Amino acid sequence: MRAVRLLVWLAGSALCVGMARAVGPVDQPDLIKHRAIVYFATAFVGLTIGVLVWERRPDSRTGLLLTALPFVEVLSQARWIFWNHALPVTIGFASMSLYAPVFAHLILSYPTGRLTTRLDRVFVAVVYAYATTSALLFLLFFDTRAPHDRYEIECWDCALPLTHVAWRDVHRASHVLDLTLLVVAPAFIGLLIRKLLRATPGGRRIELPLSIAAFAAVAQLLAHFALNGSPDSPWTDTPWFWISIVVSLAVPLSLGVGLFFGRRARSAVADLVVELQRTPPGHVQEALARTLGDPSLELALWLPDQASYVDSRGAKVELPAAGPHRAVTVLGSSDSPVAALLHDPALLERPGLLEAAAAAARLALENERLQAELRAQLSELRASRARIVQAGDDERRRLERNLHDGAQQRLLSLGLALQLARAELGAEANGASSLLVEAEDELRAALDELRELARGIHPAILTDQGLGAAVRSLAERSSVPVRIVSLPGERLDESTEAASYFLVSESLANCAKYAHASTVRVSIARRNGNAVVDIDDNGVGGADATRGSGLRGLSDRVQALDGTFLLESPVGGGTHVHAEIPCAS
Amino acid sequence: MRVVIADDSVLLREGVSRVLADEHFEVAAKVASADELLESIAAGAPDVAIVDIRMPPTHTDEGLVAAHTIRRRWPDVGVLVLSQYTETEYALRLLEGGEQRCGYLLKDRVLDAGQLASAVRRVGNGEVVVDAELVARLVDRPRHGSLLDELTAREREVLALMAEGLTDRGIGERLFVTPKTVETHIRHIFAKLQLPEGAADNKRVHAVLTYLRT
Repeated sequence: MRAVRLLVWLAGSALCVGMARAVGPVDQPDLIKHRAIVYFATAFVGLTIGVLVWERRPDSRTGLLLTALPFVEVLSQARWIFWNHALPVTIGFASMSLYAPVFAHLILSYPTGRLTTRLDRVFVAVVYAYATTSALLFLLFFDTRAPHDRYEIECWDCALPLTHVAWRDVHRASHVLDLTLLVVAPAFIGLLIRKLLRATPGGRRIELPLSIAAFAAVAQLLAHFALNGSPDSPWTDTPWFWISIVVSLAVPLSLGVGLFFGRRARSAVADLVVELQRTPPGHVQEALARTLGDPSLELALWLPDQASYVDSRGAKVELPAAGPHRAVTVLGSSDSPVAALLHDPALLERPGLLEAAAAAARLALENERLQAELRAQLSELRASRARIVQAGDDERRRLERNLHDGAQQRLLSLGLALQLARAELGAEANGASSLLVEAEDELRAALDELRELARGIHPAILTDQGLGAAVRSLAERSSVPVRIVSLPGERLDESTEAASYFLVSESLANCAKYAHASTVRVSIARRNGNAVVDIDDNGVGGADATRGSGLRGLSDRVQALDGTFLLESPVGGGTHVHAEIPCAS
Repeated sequence: MRVVIADDSVLLREGVSRVLADEHFEVAAKVASADELLESIAAGAPDVAIVDIRMPPTHTDEGLVAAHTIRRRWPDVGVLVLSQYTETEYALRLLEGGEQRCGYLLKDRVLDAGQLASAVRRVGNGEVVVDAELVARLVDRPRHGSLLDELTAREREVLALMAEGLTDRGIGERLFVTPKTVETHIRHIFAKLQLPEGAADNKRVHAVLTYLRT
């Protein structure tokens, strides 16, 4: 590709030099000769900047369009300079109208080289169609040797375009086409303003110099049109010649200045360095967004352990594919990235700014990355804690079920068998019979114990009927009178129900054992997406959650579900357990 | 009396069936699931269906659900639910289908042939049965400043028997007093506990159990 660009540049330069020299032999005043040199030198500058931009940003179409612009300009002059050769005349006519569409395409697609909105695409297509029509008009029907032509050239040795078909008076049609420029030019200005308004502040800063140059070019065209009745300014008109030279230099220069010099960028980076010292962790993204002028900027931090990008909260981020609306810049080397910036593609016009900002933010980013890593680990830890609690509950449920469906059923059948055995023995063996009665009594006691054991592990009523029924059942069994203030009527999610239930169960057990309370109040209410559990007794107080495994375990269980647990137990002031557990649903 | 037995454990099914046969019941069918139970009742209605509360597929409260279906579709068939749990909630759910021809008995009672037979017979005769252990726990639970303290010892006895589902005559027989006396006791109990008069007739077991658990 580099060879292609070099070739294009050499060809363009040769063309500029050749054309400038060719003006010489023509019998023209010196004035024209000097202006030709200035004109083609301007084109050469434009060409050179265009190729450099193309070289620097090969993936953007901007460089290509910027290169095409002086080419079109230079080639269109061929019809005057080599007026008596058919090929140059044809090329000249073919390229004379192309300047406007290439120009519009370049400006509206800057900086990505892609037209992002439908309206822009339609507009540029219309302008290309306009140029083609107007070129065809001249290529097919224009004849300098025809009489009464409006240009009144009547040049008998002028060459006809190779594509000439027949003479038609193109005067009127050409004039109508010129007048359409009066609609197209304001429309272009409107689209350009729209583009600037839609850009991010950073993007606007980048687009502004070129946009001003474009405004100037269009204003020049309209002014010339208004004053002279034609959009084309001949070299003989001194003021217009210099104005048009300045304007055509302004476009490539404004682009080159933005690209090669980044004074404002450096001062912005200096501000960033200062700002980062005051930036708390987790806010580097905002600081970068401000510096680069792109509020949509997102920071993705690379975690080598997970081999993935995360945001500052530790949540996973997928890098999007680069497109016309989003660009990705990876900071650090490609095999060990530090972070990636997801940003407005306009910022790619200032790779220097991006790199400088990233270098300035490097330490802060490293810090940010460690924080994000920590947060990712924390959220993973929290999730795994909740999973462990869940697994414990599942296991308890399974155990309870197995006790009922296995051991209990077997003991019952054993009891039935003993009964039958006793019946078979009848009155014959008194001793054996009384032994059997004893065994049956033992068996009944075992069944009672088994039932209470299963209940303690995980009551079936909690699974089947929910928290309300299960807590009421606890209250029935409590040795301290329980007053139930409120219970949820609806089912909550499994983990919340289990945590609330065991909280009440353990608190009531503690109350019975240590509190010497005469009454205990239980309240479970749903508030703001939380199950709010309160258990208050009027006992002696002095309970300590850090001592004894019961309350400690409950506090852990509640916290594993991201809830809060509070124990207040002043000596002589009763015990108050308060917990808030988020409901998953 | 014709009975059907539904329990997913074959050992228990056979054991209970033998105990009841010895007590002169006619065991019409022995089934392993709620669906089979409903089919067998449709084929020939028994006097009492004896239903395990835990049955396939989820082993939670299939028995209770089946009991409700039976009571709705065949009001003349009694339902005795055998349960592993001494939970008032389940007994109340059963009673919500109407206070007749139903019972909630702890499964351990199958080991006491006399108790089991008497419960089946009572249900078959249209009475209500609530397991005595469950009632005892409710009556004996500690209370603080309760209206129950106002009751005499005899009235407490009557209250407990009422909660077990016994009729006035049944209570009288247990306590060796006339039904008339029992009626007087019950009137006093309702007045002292401030229970609504209307509940005394056909919803008294539910009313008393609800009162006792709160």
